Amino acid sequence: MNERELVTKAQAGDFQAFATLVNASKGRIYALALKMTANEQDAEDIVQETFLKAIDNIEQFRGESSFGTWLYSIALNQARAHLAKQKQTDLKPIEDYLPTKSADDLHRPDTHRLFDWKDPHQQLEDQELKEIIDTAVAELPVTYREVFLLRYYEELSIKEIAKLIKESVASTKSRVLRARLALRDAISKALEDRYGTQVS
Amino acid sequence: MGRKCLDYVNDLNDYLDGELDPSLCDEIEKHIGHCENCRIMVDTMKQTVTLCREGKPEKLPASLEDKLSGMLKARWEKKFGK
Ligand SMILES: [Zn+2]
Repeated sequence: MNERELVTKAQAGDFQAFATLVNASKGRIYALALKMTANEQDAEDIVQETFLKAIDNIEQFRGESSFGTWLYSIALNQARAHLAKQKQTDLKPIEDYLPTKSADDLHRPDTHRLFDWKDPHQQLEDQELKEIIDTAVAELPVTYREVFLLRYYEELSIKEIAKLIKESVASTKSRVLRARLALRDAISKALEDRYGTQVS
Repeated sequence: MGRKCLDYVNDLNDYLDGELDPSLCDEIEKHIGHCENCRIMVDTMKQTVTLCREGKPEKLPASLEDKLSGMLKARWEKKFGK
């Protein structure tokens, strides 16, 4: 049975059909929620709330997106609500995440040498590395964190994400890029702190 | 001389995600072949994604798995009846 048929059955009250849809997506929703909140209890709550809300509103799903995307939009709202208490960092222009302010500076590697991570797995214990990454993700502004995770963790397309966050494709694209640059910058600083002097 | 460093920053994701026009890819590759900073930039942007994907949970925690189905069934029956 394909997704459309399952949705039709579920909307008519067939719990088994709904359970099949849940089973196909719950792992991905949990992974997203966990990475978004960096908190297991919050992630569990978000998964529960997402599927309960999906039951409450199932007749409102009209098949304009895939059912999975619809669930993501609910999960995203739940995650945002959980994160609303967190203090938010302002979004910065793209230049702030670049290693140098001007291209000319980058052309002089003697004065502006970027930190070369090499292979971080060779330099740090797995647990320490994981903590660095999780902290860097958790400290991204929420608007960056969500698009980065949707794109590279959940592997949605830019178009799908644009629809989800109700932005144009162009601005979604630019936001994903800024998110990746910002995350790179944060990880780079943390790694340089740990082993920046040891690597020639 | 080709494009300058970071001129292509707006194309960087498309390049890394394999969605950039091949002729532009060639330009970037030529550039990073002789520009150490840009090579590091490209490499660390790649690693940012691969590192983040490591350890992604495949399953729900058992505690959640155990209660989820019953919780959904109860809500379902409240809405649709048995
Ligand atoms: Zn360069």
